[in-house]
Amino acid sequence: MSALLELKGLTKRFGGLAAVNDVSLAVPEGSIFGLIRPNGAGKTTIFNLITGVYQASSGGIAFGGKSIAGLEPYKIADLGITRTFQNIRLFKNLSVFDNVLTACHASASYGIAEALFRLPRFRREEKELSEKAMELLKIMGLDGRFDVMANNLPYGLQRRLEITRALALEPRLLLLDEPAAGMNPDETESLMRLIGEIRSRFSLSILVIEHHMDLIMGVCERLHVLNFGCTLAEGTPAEVSNDPKVVEAYLGGGGSKKC
Amino acid sequence: MILFLQQLVNGLSIGSVYALMAVGYSLVYSIMNFSNFAHGSVIMLGAYFGFYALTLLKVPFGLAFFLAACGTAGVAVLIERLAYKPLRDRKAPFLYFIITAMGTQIFIDNGVIATIGPTYKTYPDIFTQGPIKIGALDVGRIDIAMFVISAVCLAALIIFIERTKMGKAIQATAYNMKASALMGINTDRVIIVVFALGGALAGVAGVLYGMKYLVYPQIGNITMKSFIAAVFGGLGSLPGAMIGAVFLGLIETFVSGYLSTQYRDLIAFIILIAMLVVRPSGIMGKSMEEKA
Amino acid sequence: MEYIQGILILSGINLIAVLGLSVLTGFTGLFSFGHAGFMAIGAYISAIVTARLHLPFALAILAGGLAAGLASLLIGRLTLKLKGDYFCIATMGFGEAIRLILNNWPWVGGSRGWESLGSYTNIWNVLVLDIVAVILVWNLVNSRHGRNMIAVREEELAAQMAGIDVYRYKMTALVVSAILAGIAGALMAHYMTFIQPKLFSMQKSTELTIIVIFGGLGSISGSVIGAVLLTALPELFRAFSQWRLVFYGLAVIVIMVGRPQGLMGGMELTPSGVRKALAAKRARAAAMVDDGGKA
Repeated sequence: MSALLELKGLTKRFGGLAAVNDVSLAVPEGSIFGLIRPNGAGKTTIFNLITGVYQASSGGIAFGGKSIAGLEPYKIADLGITRTFQNIRLFKNLSVFDNVLTACHASASYGIAEALFRLPRFRREEKELSEKAMELLKIMGLDGRFDVMANNLPYGLQRRLEITRALALEPRLLLLDEPAAGMNPDETESLMRLIGEIRSRFSLSILVIEHHMDLIMGVCERLHVLNFGCTLAEGTPAEVSNDPKVVEAYLGGGGSKKC
Repeated sequence: MILFLQQLVNGLSIGSVYALMAVGYSLVYSIMNFSNFAHGSVIMLGAYFGFYALTLLKVPFGLAFFLAACGTAGVAVLIERLAYKPLRDRKAPFLYFIITAMGTQIFIDNGVIATIGPTYKTYPDIFTQGPIKIGALDVGRIDIAMFVISAVCLAALIIFIERTKMGKAIQATAYNMKASALMGINTDRVIIVVFALGGALAGVAGVLYGMKYLVYPQIGNITMKSFIAAVFGGLGSLPGAMIGAVFLGLIETFVSGYLSTQYRDLIAFIILIAMLVVRPSGIMGKSMEEKA
Repeated sequence: MEYIQGILILSGINLIAVLGLSVLTGFTGLFSFGHAGFMAIGAYISAIVTARLHLPFALAILAGGLAAGLASLLIGRLTLKLKGDYFCIATMGFGEAIRLILNNWPWVGGSRGWESLGSYTNIWNVLVLDIVAVILVWNLVNSRHGRNMIAVREEELAAQMAGIDVYRYKMTALVVSAILAGIAGALMAHYMTFIQPKLFSMQKSTELTIIVIFGGLGSISGSVIGAVLLTALPELFRAFSQWRLVFYGLAVIVIMVGRPQGLMGGMELTPSGVRKALAAKRARAAAMVDDGGKA
């Protein structure tokens, strides 16, 4: 399998602190890849670097073989990388339906003039967008609550809605930032199944940041372990969980920064 | 050369008053992270308080300052309690604060016009002797007073912030309000103190302004200058506000002296816009990346 | 009757500016305190077209709107990348700068103003333009472009991640709002037949923003009702002159503290809008009962 996303020697410094230090990894196409870290910051920073929110201090990021360094976040989303957020960033005052409908915008191409004068292309494409949004909600099991305000959804469904919104852009790579945060074992179980289903149904690759061990071990095919922003180990969940360095980092905790 | 030095003196004296205004405004900004547009109204009230202290109560000069500063400190705290605190409690987006601040400004400014009236008032002459001669320069006593009083107040403020416990609490809260609260700092009290300080400085600035120029309800418009100065120096940075204010005062004076007074206000805005485009964090401000 | 007509015309003129500002502030979440500057550009350019170039009024209105739109392109270029607070101050700076430039420009009357402009604005052209403006703004907002603007208002970062070119949409909102403000300015110039830089002060900009907030951010019907009420009422109370502004300021504080979502609270006063609001209310009640949804 070819690598869909490749990070090469990626480093991000904030002042004197390197939140991400010389990280290299390759996410194979079609896989579910996990990123975990026992200590230090840096997980979400990697996502922010990939999606263009931060610029790397050094190192490169390539998507589908082409460098995406320096691109604006919305362009990167256009290219096919979307994400969810650790602290849910839904359009809180919009309904479930509107959240997804908004994200479907890229599937239409009518311009402002066509919108202002309600030309045929507008009407046609709006109808398509509506259908597409509803379809997506049905697949993700949210259609029953389509007119509920996002803010009023129970927490678990808010996370699901965020994932749905990210899927509306038809991404090739989906970044999930701690999707199981705040969930009980049952909900985590459902989420794991959901992630697997999404991968096959939408034929995409998934990169997950998590520290919830059940989810990581249960659903990821490959893991990359960061410690204090540096690469500690990489391999299958079985390999990584038996790696003495990883065990020590998890049990030993704190202390000096090892790279 | 004489003209230059004369302008320098003028620029420094008006700059020092701008500094008082800008620091008061910046102080509130550093804690609350919003632009208190009602600041100008407080300055204006300071001018009026001082005026009435001198004419009605007939207190000596120094006491007038004190009374005006107390008055404006009180008004500032009142505004905070009634208009801003409810928004803070509700975690309203900061832009709502700005609207409320503007409403407060309209309320106070027009309240003064409706009650006291729009006619200009002049302060009684404080200094009856003529200007002091330094070499070939005529330095007005008022200008000296403005500079000295502003410098003293600002020095006192700096000492307060650097040396006292409350001052350190203010610094901590300005840096990170949530963390400070978790550390046991009574952030609510810090906010009250900050508004009181800002209000007091505004009061002194108002009296100085009234002394040098006139007293009228629209004095608050000058608050734009304090924003520009604060932005120039870096929003939230007190030394920056001072530097920015003095710089602004100097530039304005030189422009009106050498070009024309028409352009004086315009130049201030050009500086503002140029600053925002080139270096929005100002001379001494910190740039912040949003945490995703 | 003439008096009532006057009030309606003024309300109608304000409505157009308010609609524009609603797109920028209510739907895209950007607060501008310099919009009177765009009205000023519209007013003065339109005055030049009718009084100096002796061209028809319709052309003047168009020119006024376009000029304001062009100015906003420049201003947007300089300021839209700034953080919220700075953007506010920058717009304020621009509004004031425009006023000051006009004040110092004798060719257009300077601070004394420009009088004896043609009285071309009447209840009919204001009404027609109002209706057109409402329809166009409504169409804009209820399209993917409008939704993108709302997304920018709600969660700018998430909007970026959803592939929305935030800068472009902010610029679009700014230009639309400026064009509408310019048109309003042109209409005002030829209703009052006299323009003066003082008319386009920061206070005017603030008044416009207050109307948008009063009507409720994100609601077109709110902006319409707000524009009419907040223009008509102060005019009716003109006798109390200074006190009306005092109450105005107090009202702003009370609204922001008491009911910040404004009159309409984001709802629209249309059949579908009411249905939507009721549905949301029902769903909210149901969501509260339904506990612990599974992921």
